[in-house]
Amino acid sequence: MTKLDKFAITLLYVIAWLIFVGLSIEAGGLIVNFFFSVFKPQVVERLYQKLDLSVMYAQSKAVFFGVYSFIIFIAVLKAVLFYRVIQLVHHLNLNKPFSRLVSRKVLQISYYTFSIGIISLIARQFVKNVSHHGYTIDILGEFWVDSQAFILMATVIYIIAVIFKRGIEMQEENELTV
Amino acid sequence: MPIIVNLDVMMAKRKMSLNELSGRVDLTLSNLSILKTGKAKAIRFSTLEAICKALDCQPGDLLEYVDDSKNSKN
Repeated sequence: MTKLDKFAITLLYVIAWLIFVGLSIEAGGLIVNFFFSVFKPQVVERLYQKLDLSVMYAQSKAVFFGVYSFIIFIAVLKAVLFYRVIQLVHHLNLNKPFSRLVSRKVLQISYYTFSIGIISLIARQFVKNVSHHGYTIDILGEFWVDSQAFILMATVIYIIAVIFKRGIEMQEENELTV
Repeated sequence: MPIIVNLDVMMAKRKMSLNELSGRVDLTLSNLSILKTGKAKAIRFSTLEAICKALDCQPGDLLEYVDDSKNSKN
């Protein structure tokens, strides 16, 4: 393992931590916003992202809770995804990279990425459908703008995970050949 | 696995210890132990040849095929 590899792994670890903290704050902020939107809508203006869906809440509670559930679920899933990335980089040993634990983490990352992609896609479609009934959805686009990218990423990660798993099986077979 | 390694039986017949066999076939004790306990997934022809030579036996004396499905039915 070269010095550059070690440096790259350390850098990725730090970046993954920073993104995880950022996403956790975002998820927390959105959850706080949700409770304020329901119980004290007048202070939402001063809260995170100013995500004010009080008009939607007044129009239909079902749509409001549906949209907010999607937003919070995606935000939490993104934070969990980066926590898995942190765990992966933390346990990764470049001298002996083919371990069951790393394989499991890569597979988990692919599942989380796919879940985010597919839920974002469903959410986008849901919001598009309800927009025909006169709901304002302009501010929601940014929450699921990258759904296709997540699905593409999930496919690539899943393929890598399957190859990784096969690599581990081959390594174990090699180790048990006398 | 339906392939059973009868290394311990042959070693007992030849009255040879694992240490002695390890020295003769130039295999580590841990590898011989993997073979003896049936954990091995594969065996090289060179290893089989060396063990057969050291124990003065045939590959068939060391390896045995037992059909799992027939065993489970009985």
